[in-house]
Amino acid sequence: MNLLFLKKIMFLIILIFSCDSFAKSTIFGDGADVSKKVKISEMLNSPEKYKNEAATITGSIVKVCKKRGCWMELASDKKYQTLTIKVPDGKMVFPMSAMGKTAFATGTLNSMKLNLAKTRDYLAHKAKENQTEFDPSTITQAMTVYRFSPIGVTIVD
Amino acid sequence: MLIKKPGINWFKLNRALHRDIGYFCIGMTLVFAISGIALNHINDWNSNYSVTQKSYNISLVSKDIESKEFESWLLNELKISIGIKARFWQDSNIYKLFYENGSITINKNLETVIVEQIKPRFLLRSLNFLHLNEAKKAWVYFSDFYALMLIFLSISALFMVKGKYSAFKHRGCLVLLGLATPAGFVIFYAS
Repeated sequence: MNLLFLKKIMFLIILIFSCDSFAKSTIFGDGADVSKKVKISEMLNSPEKYKNEAATITGSIVKVCKKRGCWMELASDKKYQTLTIKVPDGKMVFPMSAMGKTAFATGTLNSMKLNLAKTRDYLAHKAKENQTEFDPSTITQAMTVYRFSPIGVTIVD
Repeated sequence: MLIKKPGINWFKLNRALHRDIGYFCIGMTLVFAISGIALNHINDWNSNYSVTQKSYNISLVSKDIESKEFESWLLNELKISIGIKARFWQDSNIYKLFYENGSITINKNLETVIVEQIKPRFLLRSLNFLHLNEAKKAWVYFSDFYALMLIFLSISALFMVKGKYSAFKHRGCLVLLGLATPAGFVIFYAS
């Protein structure tokens, strides 16, 4: 093997690694089951029903975890409403390039009851993330945060 | 006369296997080592994507933000040529437009427009993709195979040298140190 041949092989390997096309998978886990479609607003109106019953939600991806790809936020059919899809680190890794695309996710709804202090912390964190102003004194009631745990996700353009 | 049959020279065989498997493992070791450092520090520096933001002050008075004309007017003001894929009201004041690998955030009250662009980092994104097993499928089996080869390399390393530099003489202290260090971290952090 001469040196030129080795150099060509090295160049090819670097070219392949530098290409992001491998990361453009659109199906995560088992993929979404579109026969179980439920509107996000409907799910959030009766959250108890969807804690154990698997359903499929859909919406535009408006935010993705920048670092680990372990969550993404879907826009609801209702104005200003979103629902976060959260997976344990590494189970599914959502690419940031998915923002603006449409996601279908099949799974169940989880709820977390926060006390008042935690509610203020949570909303302060959200405001910082959204680069908006936040006054904790305006929050007087504790809230429940809902998150969607998927078993399968399909992302389409 | 007793003739001794030539048997397998285990020492030589071990050294040859250690050398060749070691050569084969160079690529994979670099993949896991480089991405390992990158992922360890992901909270300090995003090794997957480079995210750039550009802020503009644009007067939005008398503009109907939800109209198609507004989008083409805005893109013209920003001097960018892109196709809008999705639209979203974050709250009554903030409207977002999404395009391939980026977004435009419009703040009505502040009359600011932020253009965010996301680019996968050269090489590192792919290395992290492999390290976190995003590929799944056959990669799972190949990385299992690599792990088995690493186990072989670590055990065969014990039998690479004979004599005073052998792992079973004074140099054995280094082997013990290598085993004790992770054990120390477990005792210190997990207890």
